[in-house]
Amino acid sequence: MSPISQPTSVAFNPYAENGGTILAIAGLDFAVVAGDTRQSEGYSIQTRYAPKVFRLTDKATLAVNGFAADGNIFVKTVKQRLEWYRHAHAKDMPLRAIARLIQTMLYAKRFFPYYVYNILGGIEEDGSGAVYSFDPVGSYEREACRAAGAASSLIQPFLDNQIYFKNQVAVSGTSHPKHLPILDVLSLVTDSFTSATERHIEVGDGLEIYVIVASGRSLTELSSIAGIEEVTGSASATDRVFVIRRELKKD
Amino acid sequence: MELNGGSVVAMVGKNCVAIASDLRLGNQALTIATNFEKTFPITDRIIIGLPGLATDVITLKERFRYRVNMYTIKEGREIEPETFAHLVSSTLYERRFGPFFVEPVIAGLTKPSEGSVPFIAGTDLIGCLTLPKDFVVSGTASDKLFGMAESLWEPDLGPEELFETISQTLMNAVDRDAFSGWGAVVHVITPDKVITRTLKGRMD
Repeated sequence: MSPISQPTSVAFNPYAENGGTILAIAGLDFAVVAGDTRQSEGYSIQTRYAPKVFRLTDKATLAVNGFAADGNIFVKTVKQRLEWYRHAHAKDMPLRAIARLIQTMLYAKRFFPYYVYNILGGIEEDGSGAVYSFDPVGSYEREACRAAGAASSLIQPFLDNQIYFKNQVAVSGTSHPKHLPILDVLSLVTDSFTSATERHIEVGDGLEIYVIVASGRSLTELSSIAGIEEVTGSASATDRVFVIRRELKKD
Repeated sequence: MELNGGSVVAMVGKNCVAIASDLRLGNQALTIATNFEKTFPITDRIIIGLPGLATDVITLKERFRYRVNMYTIKEGREIEPETFAHLVSSTLYERRFGPFFVEPVIAGLTKPSEGSVPFIAGTDLIGCLTLPKDFVVSGTASDKLFGMAESLWEPDLGPEELFETISQTLMNAVDRDAFSGWGAVVHVITPDKVITRTLKGRMD
């Protein structure tokens, strides 16, 4: 051993990329937030069931994608802040306020960020369906639809085409619909994920679709969906939350 | 691939094939030209798409023309799509350790006496062939093309339906890619004619 000590470097990477994809679409009086349930690191699957979509309140769900450890802690902290809000104000935080809360929470860690892309979906105070998408440091925007995560590049152009009707011309005298019916939206979500599962190794195993429905809306269309489950928190809630679970290919 | 940008896609239909490319030629983020077609006719029934390094695109286009002409003279007949795909493969593998930076896509129909069967193929930059039965994507927007094609394509599309499918696939994919776009050209090869249409796209 040399009498002169050499400098040693210690490399520690506090981040990992855990794959998966999330997607949200806003309707006129509903919102759909979906994510696959595979969690991977490199070529290894850590688990086939790790939820990425979480119910925050009866009018808000949050999808988190990226570094799973950060994502889970972030959701936990957001839920805690929402509970504090309930204790202080005796009501659930409005969706647009949750969006701003998420921005400040993300930007608070501007120089050691939560390595996650967030998509918030739910019902606004005016009863409209809304989707808010965030980057890891809190830049956010309200949109009609957004895909994030490993297969976002596969899904987002499809959404541009099918939701925004990009590169499509309406028959003269007619116009493209601003909002799609809920069953059409759900078909687009399942098609997006089955396609992404075919072509992306980090997407697959299972699909969880959260549907947040505004108070006045009829639920007849939803009752026709196989295996739909209500996950609304309180019995007095006016907006309601449902979850649809589907299998995706596991290879 | 990101130096000049560009994307190509090919699809199989019922008794027809389609191949399409964008029109952009760039120098990294700077757009140089908006009329740079990346598809080249080989025979009346074969078209090759060559996205990648523009200098190699032009070199290979000429080299394939030369080799196909030599084949036609020696054999006294037109080259078949599958044979041409192997010609492309071996031409690229000749440069195994100093490759041409292109990822070719080949679309064609077999000769009418063999039923005008649709044929598509893709290779990587050193000539490794893939022969899918649905579609091939290539270029800087390949991941977006995969997402679009996987969700829009279905079996047994007629020439007009196939044109619409490949056009929507390409246009929506390149609109999410900074290195591709500025319009597109689409060819649909049918047993009796090749339908070529130039599409106007987003100019940004």
